[in-house]
Amino acid sequence: MRLLVIEDNATLSELLAKGLRTAGYEVDLLATAAEARAVLMTTSYAAIILDLGLPDGDGLSILRELRHRKDSTPVLVLTARGGLQDRVSGLRSGADDYMVKPFALEELVARLEAQLRRPGQQLGSSLHIANLEFDLRSRQAVIDDQPQMLSSRETAVLELLMRSKGRVVSKKQVEDHIFGLSGDVASNAVEVYVHRLRKQLSDKGAKVQIHTIRGVGYLIAEEKA
Amino acid sequence: MIRFKSIISRIVILHVIAVAVTSVLMSVALSWLLSVATNNIHNEAMGEQAVSLAGHLALKADGSFSLDLPPSLQGLYSQPYGRYSYAVVDDTGKTLFSSLKDKAPVFAADPRVSTVQFLETRIGDAAISGASIRRIIGGKTVWVQAAEDLANRDVLIDDIVEDFYKHVGWITLPILLVLLVIDIAIFRRALLPLRQASETAQQIGPARTDIRLPLDEIPGEVRPLVSAINKALDRLDEGFRLQREFTADAAHELRTPLSILRTRVETLDDPRIAKALHLDIEAMSRVVGQLLDIAELEAFAIDPQETADLQAASAEVAGFVAPLALEQGREIALLGATTPVWIKGNAEMIKRAIRNLAENAIRHAPKNTVVEFVVEENGTVTVQDRGPGITEEERELIFRRFWRRDRNHQGSSGLGLSIVQRIAELHDAKIEVENRVMGGAQFSLHFTPCAAPDTRGT
Repeated sequence: MRLLVIEDNATLSELLAKGLRTAGYEVDLLATAAEARAVLMTTSYAAIILDLGLPDGDGLSILRELRHRKDSTPVLVLTARGGLQDRVSGLRSGADDYMVKPFALEELVARLEAQLRRPGQQLGSSLHIANLEFDLRSRQAVIDDQPQMLSSRETAVLELLMRSKGRVVSKKQVEDHIFGLSGDVASNAVEVYVHRLRKQLSDKGAKVQIHTIRGVGYLIAEEKA
Repeated sequence: MIRFKSIISRIVILHVIAVAVTSVLMSVALSWLLSVATNNIHNEAMGEQAVSLAGHLALKADGSFSLDLPPSLQGLYSQPYGRYSYAVVDDTGKTLFSSLKDKAPVFAADPRVSTVQFLETRIGDAAISGASIRRIIGGKTVWVQAAEDLANRDVLIDDIVEDFYKHVGWITLPILLVLLVIDIAIFRRALLPLRQASETAQQIGPARTDIRLPLDEIPGEVRPLVSAINKALDRLDEGFRLQREFTADAAHELRTPLSILRTRVETLDDPRIAKALHLDIEAMSRVVGQLLDIAELEAFAIDPQETADLQAASAEVAGFVAPLALEQGREIALLGATTPVWIKGNAEMIKRAIRNLAENAIRHAPKNTVVEFVVEENGTVTVQDRGPGITEEERELIFRRFWRRDRNHQGSSGLGLSIVQRIAELHDAKIEVENRVMGGAQFSLHFTPCAAPDTRGT
């Protein structure tokens, strides 16, 4: 899978390329907005990593042009500006995700994969946490290579939590995900499913933990020793 | 020197003084002019009377004069009437004829005086004023004097003078007052553009540095001031812009090398060194981020129209810090309101404040304790921990930049609470620091609650 990295700092750009190649991607590097414009007119990539502070123009304008052409290639924006206005305008211009420097390469790869796994995108493999694996295509949970039988709702909860690895999923999101818009949901329904899922996972020896963040939501993480 | 609060009051007061002075001066001037005019009329009349008397004077054959007055004139000069008098004096000073009792001249005549002379004298209590003319009749020179007792002056003239003051004299005051009212109206009209400019200036604030005062309607006299103000605003605007640019540039220049460093460290072979370096970079990145936050806050202004949902902001921050807290063995809980709590302010800034409070609390909370966020309907968010709490002496110090209880404490830059304080200032929010009964510290931010925003609009 070929990625395009548009970053003017040569060192960072080389390091990014190295990291992404290690993660199994092919990488093209560009340093200016003008080059990027020219290349994007003729070539399409699986995803684009775009730095906003380019020497010859604002990276956001490249993004806007791309979206204007109805090109839905996932774009992950890198920026030094963590400022609020920048973040808002980045997402408004059509960025799929946003990372403020300095970022962990590991996280960049994870977020990139999350984008590539989205419906319509190219990556369709599985998600892993410790000895727990979730195959996104078959929607099958696997613990220590043993396929597990989970109810459809438990599966839905697990999928959502694993897709959001490292982030808290709000109770509302879980509710929407498992029940959609279908009528009334008992107020403790989500708790019930999470509780069941938790029990199933621990019974089957998964080394993961589903944390409840009271008042906020849930978070799946590797079990701490 | 009197200090005036406004141009209008200055105009009114000075105008009133001018009106008072003018009306006094005008009365004096007018009465002087009037008395001059009446005197002239009187003198002219006296001169004419003397001429008419002289017409009746004839030189007899014996060289003496005769004065043959017709009865109408005799009545005019009669003693009982007493108003007019006449005398004829020759060049020796001898009185030839006189209407007075003692045949005395009306005026002590000087033989060498010119043709016509207007004189005044007193006879007893009466003030006498009249004319003396020189006539040469048959080679002999005589002076004919005609005079009027001023006490019995022509009633008509006196009436006119009196009437003048009653009707004409008093009219000057209202005229001047009308003029004052007109002046005020003119000035108010002239100052209208200034008042409009002031209203425009009212809207200028850190959030709206783009507004300039309109020059079109401004009177030429005030234009230099207004354009100077506009230029000052340009410079301020430029200052804000430079500050914002600096923040953006500094962010880029500081964070890009950190990214490089971090990425390099990630590719190191020795995981132990990588981990240690990683922690250092984390700490460094945090300080850089906070310094940039501070720089940004210096030039940041909140749009007074902005509103934020404190509950949502707290939930977002709680969700954001939870993974990190769990990793470090602390739990996060969000308590209190479960529905939107609308407050005035910028959501992103409010989140930053809460985040800094939360990170502070997580750092000080002992393992396996809960850091709680409590959102109240009245626009208050409280972050509480079970840490050591804050001593009385520390309460002021903790908000100082770079202050730390333990200078060797990892991961703390001492900037977090000063950021919280600055954001609170921007929002007119009160910060409350307390120690909890069961131990631990609690920081509350009291924001200004407001109505839910109109979701029908944009």
